[in-house]
This record gives sequence, structure tokens and C-alpha cells, in this order.
Amino acid sequence: MKKKMIFSEFFRNNGVIMGSALMGLVGFWLIFLVILPQLSMLDYSFRFNLPPADVGTAKDVYTLSNYEHLLYGSDKTHATFNTVDLMVFVRTIIAAIMVTLFNIVLCYPLAYFLGQSKGSGLARLLVVLLIIPYWINEILRAFALRIIFGDSGLLNETLMLLHLTKEPIDFIRQDIALYAGLGYAYILLMLFPMYNVIESLDRNQIEAARDMGASWTRIHRRIVIPHAKPGIVSGATMVFMLSAGALAAPQILGGPSSLWFTQLVYQWFNDSLNWQQGAAYAIVLLISTILIVLTVMRIFKVNMGDIGK
Amino acid sequence: MSTASIIRIALFAYLAIFFSYLLGPLVVMSLTAFNSAAFPSVSPWACYTYEWFDVLFNDKHIKEGIYYSVIIGLGTVALSVSMGLAASIVLTQVWAKFRSTYYTLIIAPILVPGVVLGISTLVFWDRFGDFIRAGDGSMLDGLFHNGIFLTILGQSSFIASYCMLVFVARLQRFDPGLTEAALDLGATHTQAFRKILLPFMRPAIASASVLAFLASFENYNTTTFTIVKYKTLTTVLAQKVRLGINPSISALAFIIIMMTIILALGFETYRRNNARKEAVRLGKAKESKGFLPGFLTGNPAAIVLVLVSFVVISMIGTAQSYSPQQCKAEVLAAKKAEVAKAIKALKLKRTIKQQSDSLKGPDIFTPDPANKKGSFGGVFDPNNLTNEEPAKPEAPAANKKPASGAFGGVFDPNNLQKD
Amino acid sequence: MSSGVAVDLENVWIKFGDFVAVREANVNINGGDFFSFLGPSGCGKTTILRAVSGFLEPSDGRVLIGGNNMAGIGPNKRPTALIFQNLALFPLMKIWENISFSMEVAGASAKERRKRADELLDMIALEGQGDKLPSELSGGQKQRVAIARALCANPDVLLLDEPLSALDLKLRQHMRTELREIQQRVGITFIYITHDQGEALTMSDNVAVMKAGVIDQIDNGHEIYDRPATPFVASFVGENNVFRGKISQISGSEAVISSNRSGELRAQITPSQVGKMNVGDDAMMFVRPEALALGESDPASKTTVSAKVLNEEFEGASFSVFLEGDGGKQIKMAMPNLGQKLEGHTGETLSVHYDANNAVVMPAGELASE
Ligand SMILES: Nc1ncnc2c1ncn2[C@@H]1O[C@H](COP(=O)(O)OP(=O)(O)OP(=O)(O)O)[C@@H](O)[C@H]1O
Ligand SMILES: [Mg+2]
Repeated sequence: MKKKMIFSEFFRNNGVIMGSALMGLVGFWLIFLVILPQLSMLDYSFRFNLPPADVGTAKDVYTLSNYEHLLYGSDKTHATFNTVDLMVFVRTIIAAIMVTLFNIVLCYPLAYFLGQSKGSGLARLLVVLLIIPYWINEILRAFALRIIFGDSGLLNETLMLLHLTKEPIDFIRQDIALYAGLGYAYILLMLFPMYNVIESLDRNQIEAARDMGASWTRIHRRIVIPHAKPGIVSGATMVFMLSAGALAAPQILGGPSSLWFTQLVYQWFNDSLNWQQGAAYAIVLLISTILIVLTVMRIFKVNMGDIGK
Repeated sequence: MSTASIIRIALFAYLAIFFSYLLGPLVVMSLTAFNSAAFPSVSPWACYTYEWFDVLFNDKHIKEGIYYSVIIGLGTVALSVSMGLAASIVLTQVWAKFRSTYYTLIIAPILVPGVVLGISTLVFWDRFGDFIRAGDGSMLDGLFHNGIFLTILGQSSFIASYCMLVFVARLQRFDPGLTEAALDLGATHTQAFRKILLPFMRPAIASASVLAFLASFENYNTTTFTIVKYKTLTTVLAQKVRLGINPSISALAFIIIMMTIILALGFETYRRNNARKEAVRLGKAKESKGFLPGFLTGNPAAIVLVLVSFVVISMIGTAQSYSPQQCKAEVLAAKKAEVAKAIKALKLKRTIKQQSDSLKGPDIFTPDPANKKGSFGGVFDPNNLTNEEPAKPEAPAANKKPASGAFGGVFDPNNLQKD
Repeated sequence: MSSGVAVDLENVWIKFGDFVAVREANVNINGGDFFSFLGPSGCGKTTILRAVSGFLEPSDGRVLIGGNNMAGIGPNKRPTALIFQNLALFPLMKIWENISFSMEVAGASAKERRKRADELLDMIALEGQGDKLPSELSGGQKQRVAIARALCANPDVLLLDEPLSALDLKLRQHMRTELREIQQRVGITFIYITHDQGEALTMSDNVAVMKAGVIDQIDNGHEIYDRPATPFVASFVGENNVFRGKISQISGSEAVISSNRSGELRAQITPSQVGKMNVGDDAMMFVRPEALALGESDPASKTTVSAKVLNEEFEGASFSVFLEGDGGKQIKMAMPNLGQKLEGHTGETLSVHYDANNAVVMPAGELASE
């Protein structure tokens, strides 16, 4: 009854043609591109990887085996854990968190500087300089870092030239290249939300606080950071989600012995052709990252409306 | 020294570090495009060369990738801009109670990992095809397994959210009274949309289209799953980079960087020029009468733009006649002597490395035969590089260039893949 | 030009969720009338107008235009044109395109549109300004363009939502006359919304006074001013002295209240309450400052009050004299400036007197808060 009223009001406000076009587009997007695909992936993750002939037959039943595989590996007795994959998972999450924290620390001063010197020539130049790398392909950016961190890359050559090291340091195997690459890849998604909120902070507030004798650290702790909180959390959310879900950077910059969780998903799909297993891994990744983000948003009392500003 | 000057110095040091982290890699990568060394590097500078651009322009995989990237980009722009616009309009009308739920729904795709979006698109449309019983070979069946179609859908699922954000920002400044006024004057809803809202949204639609196209063009995570049999620029690049890197990729990056810079400067010039015209119109500034063309007046962006264009044009000009053959021959001779010396050392190193790796576990670190095609072979026949098949590992040691690297690319992804 | 068409609201209720914005409105507007809705901010005036123009469906009741039920007919199909509170000129269109927009959507050629736009520009005294953008016009000019744009659609009913509120005083007075002239020239029904009583009284044939979603009184300006139907109308329109008390005596259309502080006072019962009031009812009596005059104390007439002069204000054409009656009762009296002087009287107790025909009594109720 109430629904009917909402719809009739919607169509009266938009006309039948425009109303249907709007509804159709939004409906197609949300239902066919977002909700149903996620649900069907969820459904897939509970099924066996059957040959096409067996799909839909009595053998096609629901199972937890794909999730069990992440926990126990191929060990059917469940006596030992699948330490390899679990370690990859834990490492991915922890590393993504570290990358996020690194980005916060690195971006905050610049965001503050840009936000408070808005309109000045230097600030505008810096913003243009920031935007340029933003439009360079993720893969090319990873490639650029690979040139620098490679065995005979610029960094090693420089270090050896300065006699700081004799042997080239294997930055890639040490995962240094990977972390630098992940931090590099999404740094602007951290910077811009922070910059936007700090820019909206009234300078007078800072001056008033300084007038009352507050120290710089206190001004930041009590005034700037609380004001910038939505931007920081918004940026951190994006960086965390994108780092945890990154594929290109780990593929290009990752060491041979350390995988990223998305690479496992990729392997299940493209190498082992076991979509069901891959879907289960993807679901684990999706749900755990969302839970982490929601927890952080709850802790910092930031809501969804602040994301994407 | 006063605290103020310490703060200043610290600030500049910090800015320098930040921007070298951000821009340094791009500069280095651009430089490697002009070094004749087969492994992209700057430090042992061999010869200044344009040959990597030739390699790039003759690479049919890259060309094909660009072609499909553009098609997919255009499709994604069309779909995601219309979905994003519709979603933002609905957001202004949706019941206050549902607004936050609705907003969460339409913003969520931005936060879902691209890998997950790719997989779910692939899985869903595969099943949807089965569900509506599109038999093999039928048009629908072809569509649901068509990489281009799936990639457009997969990318649009989250790019539409970006577009939506652009539109919401603009819609906030729209007076819905204008649409009502149009309706009141007899316009149909469609006319009111076309004549009132659409013109108002035009700048936002333009920026959303650019944003959507670029986001689509550079997307990898989603595309790599949904593209199936086709390839886009990013998947081609990823494959090349994983199989072993060479400076033709740097050449591509250099072109993209230059285009970005010219576009950014062009945009800035356009904006300043408009601002100046407005000022002239309002009588706040005088029409320039100097010898400079009007659009250069007080417009540093325009001046830089002209300079950059000049550099690019002269580079293209010299590229036609410049030949590094002489320099290369010298470098080659020098290298040969060096190689002979290095072979021994290399052999020793490899044995040690292999031993230590085998202790570490399943992921075996082996020198990658694919990379050996680099260095010398590439110098003489650039087209070899575009060959996807790994060069045959004949005389591996002699063909390697230990000092300047081939080793950077030793991680053969095939070795990484388990089972 | 089309001639006026009647507009009727029958028992109209408009609700937003649980909130009632308009309660049981019954209004009959004659064709060709200049009809005003007057009321404080937020009382539901715009809401009523939106129901007439078709942007809102009443939750209950009917809207009739020219006798036809408008239920289910969208704003683009109704013979009304609305001038918005903020004008809503299309910022990206030139003036002439704005004016002729209704022809554009009907498919008229650019030549026809330009011709009609130029005619209307002449009418609103903006000839030759058709190629400007709205942002390049002054407030009053925009105002006139909005009127021309609405008239270009040849509406049977023109709806105006506080169109003058953004203008300065001088321009507002000028536009009032101009609007009234346009209305007389085109002869269509105008429904005008305002919270400015001066505007409503000078321009309208009839005025509806609203309070919080309820229409208190519909009448011509004189009746509204002289015979307010409720305490709200009495106190909202113009200034009034209010005396509270209980009815002590009724004879026909006249009643006497025994006021709380000022003794027995005689007044006319407001027409809508004649025969409905009883002795002992709580009542309010209103008398306008200009209906008060100095006079002899005459308690038997039941039309005098004694009060002490507090101070006076000179207002050019008149004086306002502020007095304090028994028990601190505030009374305001207006006297035409005839050269007399009251300076010496401050602090004196005087006798103030009025004509019972110029005072109204009605059941007690809520006053308009200033
Ligand atoms: N769309 C709506 N949803 C909910 N409440 C509304 C809506 N539109 C109006 N109202 C409420 O209805 C009441 C009447 O609003 P209306 O706009 O009619 O006032 P008004 O008399 O025109 O006031 P003003 O003189 O300030 O323009 C107000 O309390 C307002 O908050
Ligand atoms: Mg209003």
C-alpha cells in the first residue's frame, strides 16, 4: 500500500517515460550489475566444481568444501591447517592496513599544507602535479617502480655507486617494492578526501586556538584532526579496500615467494579453472574487508554518507 | 636558526620527498624510453634512441589492446554515465527514510574489490545465459560470453558510482523549481529533462565522461577476469610486464604522460582564458594589446603548454633523421668484453641462488628464459621483442648482460603458479 | 486574451506523512478575480498553490478549475501558470527564450516565438532586452520577465507565489500597481500569495487569511479589516487593541463583554458568529487604534476606557499614543496629525472612547504572534 504510493508519486513527479527510464537504469545497475552478481558468486562458492555434464544433476549439491579448503587445504581429515593460504590471507590484510597507515601519515601534512594555503600559486601547481600521476595506468606505475627497484634498477645502482651496498639488494624479494608500489598506487585517494575536508576548515578556528595558547600538536589533535576525520576515514577506507583488492601491483612487484590473496583468487580462476573455489576465496576477501571497514567506521563514528566526498 | 625557518626547511624537505616519491618513478620511466639498453634503465646510459617508439608502434598486441580498450571505454562511458545520472536524480527524490540505505547501495561498488566485481560479473552472466537457455551459438549466448560485453558491464558496475558522485555534486546546486517551471509551462517530463536539467548537467556529464573513460581505460582488476578471449591495453601491458620488461613499455608510458600533461595544461589554459575573458567583459581587465596572442596573457599554463608542444614537435622531427647506430656499435664492443668477464661470476652466483631457493619451498626462483630475448637481440631487431613466444634459450649465459640486468625480469610468472 | 475561469477547492486536505499542511480548505474563486492568500510564513500558502497548479495531489478533496475536476491531471496539462517564489527563470536561456518557452515545447517555430516574445517584452517595458541572460537583469526586470513568461502560455489562471517579496519597498509598490493593471488588462483569474497584508488588501478582490493550514476567513479587504472573523485575523491584519472577558449581555448583533481589566465594553458581534454566542462565553473584543479618540468619561455608554498616557510617537501623518489602562492594560491609539499637541499630557489619566460600530467581539481564541 505504502510502496504503491511511493511509486505513484515517483511517476507523477517524473512522468511515465522519464520515470521508467530512471527506474530502469537504476534497477538494471543495482539488480543486474551489483546485487545478483554478488549473490550468484555467493551461491557459486557453495558448489562443487563439476564437469558441465553434471551441473544440475543430483551431484550438484551445496557444500562447504570450498571454504574448508581455505582452512584445511586438501587435507580431508582437517587435522592440519592450510597454512600457506591462510598466511597469504593474514599477510594481505595486515599489509593493506600498514599501507593505509603509511599513506595517512604521508598525506596528512601535505593535505594540511594544501588545504590551508588554498588558492596560492604553489598550491595550485602542486595540485596539478598530483593529478598527473593519477591518470597514469596502475600497471605503468607499477612498472615504473619495478624499473627503480629492480636488481640493476636505479636504486641499486645508486646505492652501489655510493658504496652503501656491495651486492644489489633484492627489493622485490623483500617485498619492499610491493609495499612501495601499493602505497604509491592509491596515495591520491587518501590525499584528496583529506584535502577536501581540511580545506573546509575555517582558518579562524585555528587562529582562535593559537590565540588561547594551544600548542601545534594540540591544535591538530583537538581541532584539525577531528574536523578532518570523515575525510581521513573515507580515504583510509578506499586505500584499504583497494590495496587489499589490488592485483596488478602484487603481480608485477610481488616477490616470487610471497603471494597476495587476490593472486590466489586469480589462480583459482584462470589457472586452475576452478571458479567455485575462486568465488569462495573472493567472498572471504570481500566479507572480511567489509567487516574491517565497518568496524573502523563504527569506532570512528563515521557514516557511509561521508564516503566519496 | 629560528623555529620558523626550521619549519620551512622541514616543509620543503617533506614536499621534495613526497613529490619525488610521486613523480620520480614516472620521470625515470620516461627516461628509460630513450636509452637503447634493452632492459629499461638509466644508469648505464648506452645510447640516446627512439627505437623503442618504433617497437611500440609496430606492436600489434598493443595496437589491438588499445582498439578494444577504446571500444570498451566508449561503451562504459555510455552505460555508466546514464546509470550514474539516473541514480543521482533518484537520490534527490528518494524518500528521506530510504535515502541512506539507497546511498550505501549505490556507493558500495566503489568499495568492492575490483577482482570481486570481475568474478561476480563473469559468474552471473554465465549463469544468466544458462538460465534463459541461450543455446550454444545463439546470439545471446555469444553475448553473455563475449569479453567486451562482460567487461563493459563489469566496469560500469563501479564506474557508475564515480559518475554518480560527480552528478550529485552538481545536482546539489540545481533548483528543482526550474523543472517545475518548465512543466508548468506545458513541457512534458521528457522535454523538461532535455531542455532544463540536461543543459544544466552538461559540464558534469562532460567531466563524468572523461573520468569514466579514463577509469575504464586503466582498469585492470575487473577487466582481467571479464575480458575472456579479448585483450585490452592493460591486460596486454600486464602480460608484457609479467613476462619481462622492455623499454617499449616506457615509451608508451612516456606518450601517456605527455598526453596527460598536455591535456592538463590545455584544460588549465582554457579555464584561465575564460576567466580572463570574463574579467575583460566585466571591465575588470583590459583587452591585451601586446605582441603576445591574447590567450597567452597572464597565463603561465598557456606558456608552458606552448613550450611542451614545441619540445614534443621537435622530438618527433629529430626522430625522423636521428640514428644511434654508431653509438650502439661502440657500446656493443665494450659490452662484449665485459660479458666475457662476467660469465664466470654469473655462473657462480646462479648456483648459489638456486641452492638457497630450493631450500625455501615450493616457489622456485629460476632465471626466466623469456627475458633472455632482451638485451642484445633486441638491439638489433626490435621487433623480436614484441614476439610473445620466449626466445629459445640458446647460449643463455653468453646472451646475458649481468651488469645492466636481464635479471630484473627473472620472475617467470609461470613459475609462480602452483599446481 | 482568455477570460477568467473559476477555481474551486472543495474540502481539500494536504498531508505530508503525518503532518497536515492544509486542513479542510473550501475556497470558491470567481473567474477574473484577483484573489489573495494571506498568512504567516509556513502556514501552507505555497502548498495550496502547488495543489492548484498540479505539483501536489490533495490527500483528500477536489480541486476544480473551470468546473473540471483536476485529479490526475499533471501540471503541464492544467490551464494554470505559476510564478515561483524565487521566479525560477531558466539561467542558461536568453530572456526571449525564457518568455517563449511554453511555445517552444508546443513546437512553435523560432520566428513565431521571437515575435510573441517581442510583443510581451514591449508589454513589460523591456523592449530590446530579449537577448540578455537572466543574470544580466535587475530584480524588478526579472520579475516582469517571469510574469511575461507565465502570460505567454495563455493561462486561464495565473498563480503568483510571493512574487514581490525579494524586491525593495519602492519597487514593490510600483510592481503592485503594475500587476493589478496587467490583471485588469488580460482579465484572467489571478491567485496571489503573500504574507504582506498591505499587498493583499490593496490588490485583491477577495482575500483568504490562513493560519497553520486552516483558512480562517475569506472576504473582501474591507470586511477582513473591519469585521475579522477570528482573533487571529483581527490581530494578524493591521493593528488591534484586544480586550479579553466574558459576554455579559447580547442583543441582536450587539454584545457587551465584561472585560477582565477595563469594565463593561460594547461591540458588534462578528457577522459569522451572530446568533452563535451566549452570555458567559469567553470572548475577545477588538478595536483598532484609529477607532479610538479622546472623549468624556461616560461609563453608561460602555464604550469608554480610562488610561494613563505613557508616551507618544510621531509618524508624520499620524501620532501613535501609548496608554496604560487599569491593571497595566496596554492600549494604542492613533490620531491624525491635525496640528494638535499632546506633549504635556504624559502621565495624565485620560478617557478614551470609541464607536461600538467600529469594535468587534468574537469567541476567544489564539492571536497572531508578532
Ligand atoms: N514536501 C514537503 N514535505 C513535508 N513538509 C512540507 C513539504 N512542503 C511543505 N511542507 C510543510 O508544510 C508547511 C507549509 O509550507 P508552505 O510552503 O506551504 O508554507 P508557506 O505558507 O508558503 O510559507 P512561506 O510564506 O514561508 O513561503 C510548512 O510547515 C512546511 O514545512
Ligand atoms: Mg511559500
